[in-house]
Amino acid sequence: MNLSLLRIAIAAAAVAVPATSQDLVAVKAKTIHTITGPSVTDGVILLQNGRIKEIGKQGEVEIPWAAKVIDASDKVVMPTWVLAHSNGGMRGSNESMQNVPWLTVADAIDPGSTFFEGMRRNGVGTIHVMPGNATLLGGTGMVLRPAGRTVEDMTMAANTGMKLSLQASGGSRLQKIREMRRAIAEIREYLADYNRQKEEFDKEKAAGAVGDDKKWEKEIDRKKQAAVDLIEKKLGGWLYVPSFAELSEAMRMGQELDLNFVLGSNLDEAMPMLQRLKKPVVLAEGLEYFETDPETREEEQFCTAKMLMDAGVPFALSLGSGGPTSNPWWQLGTCVRNGVSRKQALEALTIVPAKMIGLDEQVGSLSEGKLGNLQILTGDPLAATTWVHMVVLEGEIVYERSKDPRLQYLFEAAEEMSESGAPAKEEAPKKEEGK
Amino acid sequence: MHSIPHRLLGGLLLGALVAPTCAQDLLVRASRIVIAPGTTLTDSALLVRDGKVAYVGDEIPTEARAGARTVDYGEATVSPGFVLAATTLQSDSDLAEGAFAFTPDLRVAEAFDPWSERLEHLAPSCVTSFGMTPSPRNVAGGIGVLAKPGKERGRVLEADAFVGFSLTSAARSQEREPTSLMGARAMLSDAFETARVGVEVGPDLAVLQQVMSGARRAMVYADSYAEINAALALGQRFNFAPVLIGARDAHKVMARLAERGAGVVLPTLTATARLAELELPSKLAEAGIAFCFAGRPDQLRTSAALAVRHGLPREAAMAALTRTPATLLGQQAAVGALRQGCSADFVVVQGDLLDLGARHVATWVDGARACGADPEAPNPEERR
Amino acid sequence: MIRPLLACTLSLALASTAASQQDVTAFTNATVLPGGAPAMREATMIVAGGKVVALGSADAVEIPVGAVVVDCAGKTITPGLIDASFMTSVTADDANEQSDEVTPHLRILDSLDPEDPMMRRARRGGVTTVHVMPGTQNVIGGLGCVVKTHGSDPDQMVVKQDATMRIVMGSEPSNRNRAIRGGRIESMYYRRPTTRMGVVWAVRRAFFDAQEAMQKTQGAPDQGPPSPGIEVLTQVLQGKMTAVTTARSEQDLRTALRIADEFGYQTVIDEAQDAYMVADELAERKATVMLGAPSATDVGGGGGRDGAAPRSGTVRALADKGVKFVITTGTNTRRLPLVREAMFAARNGLGPQQALDAITIEPAKLLGVDDRIGSLAKGKDADFVIWSNDPLDPAAVAESVHIDGKPVSQLR
Repeated sequence: MNLSLLRIAIAAAAVAVPATSQDLVAVKAKTIHTITGPSVTDGVILLQNGRIKEIGKQGEVEIPWAAKVIDASDKVVMPTWVLAHSNGGMRGSNESMQNVPWLTVADAIDPGSTFFEGMRRNGVGTIHVMPGNATLLGGTGMVLRPAGRTVEDMTMAANTGMKLSLQASGGSRLQKIREMRRAIAEIREYLADYNRQKEEFDKEKAAGAVGDDKKWEKEIDRKKQAAVDLIEKKLGGWLYVPSFAELSEAMRMGQELDLNFVLGSNLDEAMPMLQRLKKPVVLAEGLEYFETDPETREEEQFCTAKMLMDAGVPFALSLGSGGPTSNPWWQLGTCVRNGVSRKQALEALTIVPAKMIGLDEQVGSLSEGKLGNLQILTGDPLAATTWVHMVVLEGEIVYERSKDPRLQYLFEAAEEMSESGAPAKEEAPKKEEGK
Repeated sequence: MHSIPHRLLGGLLLGALVAPTCAQDLLVRASRIVIAPGTTLTDSALLVRDGKVAYVGDEIPTEARAGARTVDYGEATVSPGFVLAATTLQSDSDLAEGAFAFTPDLRVAEAFDPWSERLEHLAPSCVTSFGMTPSPRNVAGGIGVLAKPGKERGRVLEADAFVGFSLTSAARSQEREPTSLMGARAMLSDAFETARVGVEVGPDLAVLQQVMSGARRAMVYADSYAEINAALALGQRFNFAPVLIGARDAHKVMARLAERGAGVVLPTLTATARLAELELPSKLAEAGIAFCFAGRPDQLRTSAALAVRHGLPREAAMAALTRTPATLLGQQAAVGALRQGCSADFVVVQGDLLDLGARHVATWVDGARACGADPEAPNPEERR
Repeated sequence: MIRPLLACTLSLALASTAASQQDVTAFTNATVLPGGAPAMREATMIVAGGKVVALGSADAVEIPVGAVVVDCAGKTITPGLIDASFMTSVTADDANEQSDEVTPHLRILDSLDPEDPMMRRARRGGVTTVHVMPGTQNVIGGLGCVVKTHGSDPDQMVVKQDATMRIVMGSEPSNRNRAIRGGRIESMYYRRPTTRMGVVWAVRRAFFDAQEAMQKTQGAPDQGPPSPGIEVLTQVLQGKMTAVTTARSEQDLRTALRIADEFGYQTVIDEAQDAYMVADELAERKATVMLGAPSATDVGGGGGRDGAAPRSGTVRALADKGVKFVITTGTNTRRLPLVREAMFAARNGLGPQQALDAITIEPAKLLGVDDRIGSLAKGKDADFVIWSNDPLDPAAVAESVHIDGKPVSQLR
């Protein structure tokens, strides 16, 4: 079992070998969901040097003779998903020490991890990888594309922010909050001390007490640099808020630091506070939760996404590391099932997270000049029966379902049928239900 | 603790007397005398003879009145002592056979300690008689008793009263059969079935036959819905109306409780309980289901007061402390009211019993003062 | 953190249909997926007295005068879903009688609470009937029952009281037992079995005893009735009672089939995460599989309990080999609603009708209750769900759930 899994992993890695990006690529599609603009039926997208050159109707956009044509005329094309916050792809996402602001996820990223393989299979093109939720100041994150053999290949942006978490670990909530305050206060004291020393030096120098040849040489402790940047608002923070109970402390911290919130659950009372935030938030992968009325023992189901939509707070979605919530269609379906509009659900995995990580000029929608990151789907992005057919990142094909060894056994029968042209014994898996 | 010979001696001496009798009649006067919930006499009296109520109010013959020692409680109210329908007096370890869960023929009377210190808390809590059940740790625990506290020692009034069953988790948490509710239910229904079919049965199954013939009451510890349901189903199949002890989920099965004629012995109510629990007494009363308050003796008045606060009529609350538990135990002729022939068990309160601010003055059991003040006592110390 | 709940969860629109069993209600313009038959577009279904009295196209079905008409345009109606392996919130302590490993006659029905929160959750998700079995910690745990998910008295909710007898293979029944060392026995868990082999030994011995008892009764009919446990085992051997064997890994699946062959009874296999590995054997014996939580498997497989290596293609593999199966929520702790399990099965290669049949008519057949439930047709119980759209769409919701014609769950 283990050996065969290993073989599969190697084969899957081979799929991701990048081709040259100098080519012109034209993708023909039945439907193009651009996200920020209108959808195009029977359209074509022209990519040049890994960027989108033109989008339009087939026949209206001229396809150069040299262009490599990907014919998805019966399929749906849309931008690859963007994750504003993820703990995946690392060998151990949580340091066992609590206060480790000097760490960076770059050192833990495992490019061969099945996580990135899964991301390609699910049509994810941009991932903001952050340390886990178990630490206090957990280190800095980076934005990656899930294709490449080294961390450098994969990097889209580095040092993208400091991870902070209010998730109680072992002790109580209050203890965690106290530890957080103390950690930040310590950095402030350090910085104040440093600045005072420097000021004194400058004064002495001005007074002639120090020789002109002497220069201020003491630098900020490298282990504290990132935390100092956070305090000075040169670096943003990404704060995990597990529940409503931690929100007021989070709001207080938000007044001092430049923070993005990553929200857990049990937030039905939190909406008025979150409205005051005037910023989009990221939701953890669990979108629905139950609360039981202690009096009647009646259960009520809540959906954080729906509550945020009603409160007018923009939000980005996350994906789980396994199970149903690891599927983008499931997350979107969960939103829509609970009353979130389809448009807002789609934006929550594309343009909203792109803005949050500051890459909305590059990714998150299909428009001219943006990166050529797109996914080709067998059907509607919200349907359970839809599969990712192909993923293109910056003009390169990084995933093809027909070459995905882990899915082959699922579709062997279907492939055989389509090759021989024989009629299907049963309905094909990708057949769409008419609505 | 008493030494064993002393206890034996005391038991023999006092046991021979059956009840502490007073050679002289006793006339108890008070501004209000509650004979039974709903029957209250004003500026009246009771005549107590041989530990029992001999005459009430106007019925008292003048000559008897003249010869009696009079105790006048003035402005206070005299009302029937409480009947605590089910308790183990926290002596579970003595009341459960550990090795085997099916022991219907064990007798609580044999474990009853008349000198137990735990009896001392009863009279100050207005309890003048109580049903002592086998421990809920056994599925069929044994035969319970009706007993009474006293000034010095308690006594058993009825040694062969009811049989106690238990379907609660306490009965299933021991490492022996059964460990599950379905196992407990199967154990009981198999036993009842064998008892029904069997001609010559042992003493254990004979107890079950008495239950089926209506000769013996069945008290069943049952809390959750499924436990109550199991008790009702057994009752339906084997033709008895169980008295449920605990019955936390009784509000879910009101209709069937009424239909089956089951009674309910409620646990202590606390102010922080769920609304469903606080409103249960009034709902039971509305549905015409016999119920009484039990649980911690010192919380009986509180429980009743909370139930009144949540809609239970005062009279029904009083009944649930006195008459109904006596009826559920089948002892309504002996205790639970101050009628002629009943035990002279009464409590004296300055004010309304259900008003928690009202001061408890005294408790009398079998015509003898078990605790509190005697206004006529010669020693002023005693008056306190 | 809880908003006060409205006492009435049913909206006014449909409350009128609940008024009386005698009321006639017509559900019109709906897409009806009747279970075991192709979809019907713009169909009309008439419900009266808790039963379906007519179902067909709009021109074929006449709406009786005075009927309440509910327009279901754009909606989809399916039969109420049936979860053939449902875990209630009955604790493991109460679902397993630990004093013995073999307790064939105990009934899980005795432990059910009609207000079980899990049951309520299932009902909200469109499940109108569940098959509940004793727990998995006994070798032979006892009798499973089929109950509807709404009512105040389990005896009235019962569709079939003694529906199945559960046998469990694998490590669960033995993992609490201990071997005697040093001669001191201070717990009842010092007993057999402590191994997989021992579990099978216990099953074999139970059936062997039952066989022996059968032979004895034939020889001497005057002997009293057999013990209730033996009686149940005898019914299994005689084919009068369905045996359900819980087996997850390939080795346990093969053992389950082998023991059944040995004693000549037919068994349903429950959980069956490795079923694709023994698909041929299952097909050959015409054994039905109750596939637990197909969603629990990620692409690529792995993560199964008890050494199993489940993978998402199992449904497809079983369908291709012609193995009969139903989809259940099983013992999976992730507890996705049943309809979503079918949705994952559909994603992984099952046709939509086949996926839906696996949670309606197929489990009804398996449990022997298809005369009443599992499909919508004249004379069947009016247990049905009105979905916002195609139930296999992740965005679909059960807008209202009906049992015996009465709405029992309604979306706010």
